[in-house]
Amino acid sequence: MSHYHPDELMLMNYAAGNLPTAEALIISVHLASCHQCQTYVRQTNLLGGVLFEKITPATDDKLDDVDAFIAALPDRKNNLNGKNSSTPSGYRNPLGQYLPDDLRTLAWKKQTNTISKFDLNGLVGEKGANVTLQKISAGARVPKHTHKGTEYTLILSGGFSDELGVYHKGDFISRDASHKHSPTALQNEDCICLTVLDAPIRFTGWMRILNPFLS
Amino acid sequence: MRLKIATGQAASMHGSETSTPNQDWAELLKRVAVRDDRAAFRELYNHFAPRIKAYAINQRFGQQAEVLVQEVMTSVWKNADKYNEGIANVSTWIFTIARNQRIDILRRMNRTNVEVVIETEELWQIPTEDTTVHSIQQISTESFVKKSIDTLPEEQMIALRKVYYEGKTHEEVAEELNIPLGTVKGRIRLSLQKLRMIFEAKDL
Repeated sequence: MSHYHPDELMLMNYAAGNLPTAEALIISVHLASCHQCQTYVRQTNLLGGVLFEKITPATDDKLDDVDAFIAALPDRKNNLNGKNSSTPSGYRNPLGQYLPDDLRTLAWKKQTNTISKFDLNGLVGEKGANVTLQKISAGARVPKHTHKGTEYTLILSGGFSDELGVYHKGDFISRDASHKHSPTALQNEDCICLTVLDAPIRFTGWMRILNPFLS
Repeated sequence: MRLKIATGQAASMHGSETSTPNQDWAELLKRVAVRDDRAAFRELYNHFAPRIKAYAINQRFGQQAEVLVQEVMTSVWKNADKYNEGIANVSTWIFTIARNQRIDILRRMNRTNVEVVIETEELWQIPTEDTTVHSIQQISTESFVKKSIDTLPEEQMIALRKVYYEGKTHEEVAEELNIPLGTVKGRIRLSLQKLRMIFEAKDL
């Protein structure tokens, strides 16, 4: 049960498909355990669907090709054998299949005596992504720091406190450059967080870089 | 089952509260799922493909707009059995597929390594079953939401369209309209607040 959630504008950007992969990752991990945000994403998806329905349709000038395209679609029945029964149904943790159930058993890289990290950038596979798991020993304090962009943190186990509040498992916290904070892990257990520093480049920007003729 | 919707007139037909066109689309999807009904699929194609193409063009896919149309419609064909009327209406479901395919194409172009990376469908999941209590009324709400959106001020609609159709960030919207970032965010928040009130009134 989360008490701190992503901002509604961020959830809407997620539903619109405008978030960089790393930010979509932390949102989708949060969604797996947050019914409130699931409902909100459902609503903003519905908004997307209604806007999509209201879009001015483009003319289709290749009607002959359509018949060929449809005729060439493979028979569905042959595709389905045994596939559907295993398809998960609700929101699931997208990291689940990549990480052990007990995160403490990961090959953590020690940063200091009390802080370790585990790099997830390879999983995101995208330039500029900055995604890590962080582990702070129970009761330990992270030195005061600030960030260039915005830092998003999702607590996966344990909890921490900083100048602005106390946070527990499932909470989603965002801090921009104006916050200088020094989180302190709660006393009773190690705190493990998923942390994303927002990427300076976004989808639309890349499109322009890659396709200078499009815009 | 009768469905003769010229794409250009679809909006007006869908406007009335009494007709529930989603049931028609859902019925067509079911026919695809149950018996590979290509004629039913053709009707879905006629309605949705021109919208997907418009979406792709707005998202600056240019010459590749057709690629997105074909990928999305292929996915609709393959996944017809996964559509669940209790969770989303058909246009929302197809919108989420189009959004995901669009992201997937961009991700493939921008990939920094060839190793296993997390799948787009894991990051932008399209649930096939409801895990919350809401949603039965989803369908009847669609036309209501459509009407409510029509009452939003034009300046809010413009911002929503740029975010959803054109994939613009708030910063880009602000730059394009030559207004402060805070104003863009304010407009979007106001429209979201209004929509939330609608959803809450409908207990969605």
